[in-house]
Amino acid sequence: MAGPVADTHGAHAHHDHKPSFVSRWFFSTNHKDIGTLYLIFAIIAGIIGGALSVAMRMELQEPGIQIFHGLAAMVYGFEGDAAIDGGKHMYNVFTTAHALIMIFFMVMPALIGGFANWMIPIMIGAPDMAFPRLNNISFWLIVPAFLLLLLSMFVEGPAGAYGVGGGWTMYPPLATSGQPGPAVDLAIFALHVSGASSILGAINFITTILNMRAPGMTLHKMPLFAWAVLVTAFLLLLSLPVLAGGITMLLTDRNFGTTFFAPEGGGDPILYQHLFWFFGHPEVYILILPGFGIISHIVSTFSRKPVFGYLGMAYAMVAIGAVGFVVWAHHMYTVGLSLAAQRYFVFATMVIAVPTGVKIFSWIATMWGGSLSFRTPMVWAIGFIFLFTVGGVTGVQLANAGLDRSLHDTYYVVAHFHYVLSLGAVFAIFAGWYYWFPKMSGYMYNEFIGKLHFWVMFVGVNMVFFPQHFLGLAGMPRRYIDYPDAFADWNRISSYGSYIAAVGVLIFLFGVFEAFARKRVAGDNPWGEGATTLEWQLSSPPPYHQWEQLPRIK
Amino acid sequence: DQPAEWQIDLQPHATPVMEQVRWFNHYTLWFIVPITLFVLALLIIVVVRFRASANPVPSRTSHNTLIEVVWTVGPVLVLFFIAIPSFNLLTYELVVPDKPDLTVKATATQWQWNYEYQGAPKPVAFDSYLLKDQDRASAGKEDHKIYPRLLAVDNEMVIPVGKTVRLLVTAAPTDVIHSFAMPSFGVKIDAVPGRLNETWFRADREGLFYGQCSELCGKDHAFMPIAIRVVSDDKYNSWLTAAGADLGAANKALMAQTDAPAKSAVLAENVTK
Amino acid sequence: MADAHQKQHDYHIIDPSPWPILASVGAFIITFGGVGYMRYLHGGSFKLFGMELAHPWLFFIGLAIILFTMIGWWADTIKEAHQGAHTRVVSLHLRYGMIMFIASEVMFFVAWFWAFFDASLFPHEAIQASRVEFTGGQWPPKGVEVLDPWHLPLYNTVILLLSGTCVTWAHHALLHNDRKGLISGLSLTVALGILFSFVQGYEYAHAPFEFKSSIYGATFFMATGFHGFHVLVGTIFLIVCLLRALKGDFTPKQHFGFEAAAWYWHFVDVVWLFLFFSIYIWGGWGAPLAVE
Ligand code: HEA
Ligand code: HEA
Ligand code: CUA
Ligand SMILES: [Cu+2]
Repeated sequence: MAGPVADTHGAHAHHDHKPSFVSRWFFSTNHKDIGTLYLIFAIIAGIIGGALSVAMRMELQEPGIQIFHGLAAMVYGFEGDAAIDGGKHMYNVFTTAHALIMIFFMVMPALIGGFANWMIPIMIGAPDMAFPRLNNISFWLIVPAFLLLLLSMFVEGPAGAYGVGGGWTMYPPLATSGQPGPAVDLAIFALHVSGASSILGAINFITTILNMRAPGMTLHKMPLFAWAVLVTAFLLLLSLPVLAGGITMLLTDRNFGTTFFAPEGGGDPILYQHLFWFFGHPEVYILILPGFGIISHIVSTFSRKPVFGYLGMAYAMVAIGAVGFVVWAHHMYTVGLSLAAQRYFVFATMVIAVPTGVKIFSWIATMWGGSLSFRTPMVWAIGFIFLFTVGGVTGVQLANAGLDRSLHDTYYVVAHFHYVLSLGAVFAIFAGWYYWFPKMSGYMYNEFIGKLHFWVMFVGVNMVFFPQHFLGLAGMPRRYIDYPDAFADWNRISSYGSYIAAVGVLIFLFGVFEAFARKRVAGDNPWGEGATTLEWQLSSPPPYHQWEQLPRIK
Repeated sequence: DQPAEWQIDLQPHATPVMEQVRWFNHYTLWFIVPITLFVLALLIIVVVRFRASANPVPSRTSHNTLIEVVWTVGPVLVLFFIAIPSFNLLTYELVVPDKPDLTVKATATQWQWNYEYQGAPKPVAFDSYLLKDQDRASAGKEDHKIYPRLLAVDNEMVIPVGKTVRLLVTAAPTDVIHSFAMPSFGVKIDAVPGRLNETWFRADREGLFYGQCSELCGKDHAFMPIAIRVVSDDKYNSWLTAAGADLGAANKALMAQTDAPAKSAVLAENVTK
Repeated sequence: MADAHQKQHDYHIIDPSPWPILASVGAFIITFGGVGYMRYLHGGSFKLFGMELAHPWLFFIGLAIILFTMIGWWADTIKEAHQGAHTRVVSLHLRYGMIMFIASEVMFFVAWFWAFFDASLFPHEAIQASRVEFTGGQWPPKGVEVLDPWHLPLYNTVILLLSGTCVTWAHHALLHNDRKGLISGLSLTVALGILFSFVQGYEYAHAPFEFKSSIYGATFFMATGFHGFHVLVGTIFLIVCLLRALKGDFTPKQHFGFEAAAWYWHFVDVVWLFLFFSIYIWGGWGAPLAVE
C-alpha cells in the first residue's frame, strides 16, 4: 500500500489479489470484509452485554444486595458503607451499559453493519456498496464509541461514584445535575460517535439500494431484506439527528450552563423525553425491521415456496416505519401529558399492530402449503415468529395509556421489550447467522450444535423473561437493585433462566469454533431450490469482488 | 396492600379507577392470549402438516387477496374493541373530579417523599423515609408482614376512606425526576422538577397500601417507598388535628387503633416461641 | 473465473484506504479530549485511572487529526474524479449521498426548533410552574431584551439571500463554460458568507442576553450558533471550490463538488430564513429591543 490511491484505475484487473493483512482488515473498502468486522464486533459486544446482564440477574436472584457491593469494592476499591452506596450506583451503571451495548453495539452492528453489509450488495446484484470508504468509517467509528462507553465506567459520574447510572434513556436532570461527573459526557459522546457511524451507514445503504440494483431489478422485485434495510436506513437517517440534538443539549446544559432541561432557567426536563423518544421509538423498529427481512428469506427458503404477499410484506414495513415516527409519547404516559395527547398516542400506537400482523400472518401463509425442512435457521425463525408475537401483543397492552399507568416502569415493560429484542431481534440474528454462515465462511455449521443452541437459548430466555410479566403486574418497578421480599420467587426463576441463556451463548461460541475447526465444505447453495436470492448463485465464500459482470434480472 | 409471593396478576384494587384498570387488563387478555395461541396453533399446524416428509411438493401460491384483507381487517376490529373501553378508562383516570374533598401535595427529593396537606386547619407537612431496620422497634413497626422490608416508611401518608383526594405531585426544584406510584390505587404520576402534576383517587376501603418510586432517580431509587394509610373519616380527622402538633404521637395513636389486631397476632406468635 | 474478474461495470471499486481508521482515531481523541477540554473550561476535573485529563491539548490533537484526514480523504476523492472514476452512476451516488446528508442535517435542526417552540409556544402552561415563574408567562421571557430583527438580522438575511443568488450565478456561468463568471460569482458568494459571519459575530458580541441561565438565550444561541457553524463549513466548502475553480478543476459536465457546495449553501440559506422568521421576528415580538 504505497498511497491511498496509488493504483487506481487501469489496475482493476489486480483486484482479485486480496490486499495485505493490514490493508484488508484496517483499511478495508470491501463490504464483505467490513461486514465480517462488524459481526466480530457484535459478537464481542454481545458477550460483554450478556455478561453485564448475568451480573444483574445474579444481583436480583435474591432480595437484598448480593454482589454489587463486592463488585464495587473489587473494581473501585470502595470499603464498608461506601461499597454499598457505590454498588447501588454500579447496578444502575450496569443496566445502562447493558442496554446501550446490546442496542447500539450488538444488535445494530450485527443486523445492519454485519448482515446488511454482507448481503445487500450481493442480493441486489451490486459489486459493493455505493461508498466503500464511507462504509469503513462507519465501522471504525463504532470502535471509539464503544471505547468511550466502556471508559465511562471508570470515570466519576455522580459525586463519589463511577460511571453513568442514568439508564439508557439518560433523562435529565439525573443525567445533568444528578451526575455532574465527566462519565456522562463520555457516554454522550459515545452516542454521538455511534450515531454518526449509523447516519453515514444509512446514507450508504439508501444510495446503494436505490442506485445499484442489477439491471431489471425493480424496487418491486427487490428481496425483502433489501426493503427492510431500506426502511431501516430511512428511520436512522431521520431519527438519529434528533437524538444527537437532544444529547447535545444535555451536553451544553452540563458544561455551558444552558437551561434547556433545567426548570430554574425556563427549561423543561420533559422536552428531553420528547426528543429522546422521537428517536427512541423509531429506534426499536430499526432494531427489528432487518430481522423481519431475514425471517422472510429463511421462511421462504425452508418452505421451498416464494414469500406470500410480497408487496404487502414490503409495504407493511414501510407503514411500520412511517407510523413509527408518530407514536413516541407512548413512553411518556405518566409525565403529565394532556388527555387529548394521550388519546392520540394510544390510537396511533395501536395502528402499528395491523401492519405487523400482516407480517406475522404472511410468514405463516408462506409456510402454508410448503414443504418445510427444519434446519437450524428455520427453527430460529419459527421461534422468532412466536416469541415476537408474545412481545408484540404485550406492547399493544402497554399502548393503552389507561393500563400503562399501572405497568409503566415495571418489569412488565422489561418483559415486553426483551420479548421483542432478546427473543425477537436476537433470535433473528441467530437465524441469520446460521442461514448465511455457510455462505460467508464456506463451512457448514454443525446441525446438532445449532439446534442445541436454539433449545437451550429458548428455554433460558423464556425462563428469564416470562416470569417478569408477573413481577410487573404485581408492581415490581424496573431499575431496582433490591426489591420487596414478595418478589423473590419469580426473580429467582428469572435469574436461573439467565444462567441457562448464558450457557446457550457458550454453545453458540463453541459451534462457531467447531465449524471453523472441522471445515466441512458447505457448497454454493446448501439449502436447495428454496434459496432463490442472488447470494446463493455465488461461490461460498463469494469471490472477493462479486458481480464484476452484473447479473440480469428478468 | 402489598405484593404477594408468586403473585401473577395486578394487585387487588382499592379505588374505582384500579377496579377498572384490572377489568381492562383482563379484558385485553381475552384478546391477546387467544391471538397468541392462534398464532401458535397455526405454527403447529404448519409444522405438522407441511413438513417435508408430509408434504414433499410445495405449492406455489403466493397471493390470496381475500385472506390478506381478512388479516388486515380482523386486527383492525380487534383494536377497535380494545380502543373503546381504553379511551373510557383513560378519561376516567385523567379527569380530576370537580370538588375534591382534600388536596395533598407530594414532593419528591433524592430520596424521600414529602407530604403537605393543603387547607388543613393547622398546616401539616412531613417527610417520609424508608423505615430503617434500627428504627423499627422505636416506631413500633416490627412486624414484617405489615411493615415489609423496603416498603415500610417512617411516616405514612394518611387519607380518609371514601373521600376524593386530589394529589399534586412534583419534585424539589433542583432535584431529579421521581414517580409517585400506588399500584392498588391505579395511580402513577411522575414527580418532575418544575412541574406540578395532578391526579386523583378515592380509596374505598381502609388499610395500609404500599407503592414505590417508579422513575430512576439515582442510587437509592429502590429505597424510597410510598405508603398510604387509609382510615375512617373520624380517625383521619383526629389524626390531622394531632399531626399538626406532634406528628410522631399522632401516628402512634393511629397505629394503636388500626394495627391492633395484627399486633396481638404477633404477640401470640412470640408467646408460642 | 479469471476473466470474470475483469470489471465490467461503471461502479467505483475503491482501493483500501487509511483515512477511515485514522478518522476514527481522531474521533476518539477529539471526543475524549473534548470532555477534558470542557472540564478544563469550567474548572472541573476529569480523572481516569488516576490521571488528570482536564486540559485542552487532546482535543486539539484530535481536531488536527480529523482535519488532516478530511483533507487527505477529499484530495483522494478529487484525484479519483480526475482519473475518471466518477462515472455517471458514481456521480449519481454522490448526489444521493449529499441529499441524504442534508436531510439528516435538517432533522438536526428540527431538534433545535423543537426546543425553541416548546419554550416559546408554551411559556404559560400552568403545570410548568417553574417555567411560568421564569418567563412570567410570556415569550420572550420577562426581562429579556431582544435584538431588533429589522436591523442586523435583516441585513444578514439580505446578505445570505444575495449570496444564494451569487452561487446560482456562478453555477450558470460554469454550465456555460464562463470561467470568469464562475470565479467572480464564487468569490462574491464567499465574500458575502464571510461578511455574514462577521455580522453574526458582532451581533453575538453585543447580544443583551447570554447562552447560559436562560431558555431564551439557550434556544437562540443553539439554533443560530449551529446555523453559524454551518455557514462556516459552507464557506470553507465554497472556498475549496473557488480554489478548484481557479485551478480549472471544474468542467460544465463534471463539477459535482461545486454543486454539492451550492446545495449545502442553499440549505444553510433556507434554514436562516426559518430562523429569521421564527426566532428573530416572531420569537422576539413585543419584547423591548436592545439598544446598540
Ligand atoms: C424491537 C423492539 C421493539 C418492538 C418491535 C416493539 C413493538 C411495540 N411496542 Fe415496545 N418497547 C421496546 C421495544 C420494542 N417495542 C422497548 C425497548 C421499550 C422500553 C424502552 C424503555 O423504556 O427502556 C418499549 C416500550 C414500549 C411502550 C412503553 C411502555 C412503558 O414504558 O410504559 C409501549 C407503549 O405503548 C410499547 C408498545 C409497543 C407496540 C404497540 C409495539 C408494536 O409494534 C407491536 C406490534 C406486534 C404485534 C401486535 C404482534 C403481531 C400482530 C398480530 C399477531 C396481529 C394481531 C394482533 C392484534 C390485533 C393485537 N413499547
Ligand atoms: C437488544 C437488546 C437487549 C438484549 C439482547 C438483552 C438481553 C438480556 N437482558 Fe436486557 N435490557 C435491554 C436490552 C436488551 N437486553 C434494555 C434496553 C434494557 C433497559 C435498560 C434501562 O432500564 O435503561 C434492559 C434491561 C434489562 C434488565 C432490567 C434491569 C433493571 O431494570 O433493573 C434485565 C434484568 O433482568 C435484563 C436482563 C437481560 C438478560 C438476562 C438478557 C439475556 O437475554 C442475555 C443473553 C445474551 C444474549 C441473548 C446475547 C447473545 C448475543 C451474542 C453473543 C451476539 C451474537 C452476534 C452475532 C451472531 C453476530 N435486561
Ligand atoms: Cu425516586 Cu426513583
Ligand atoms: Cu415505543
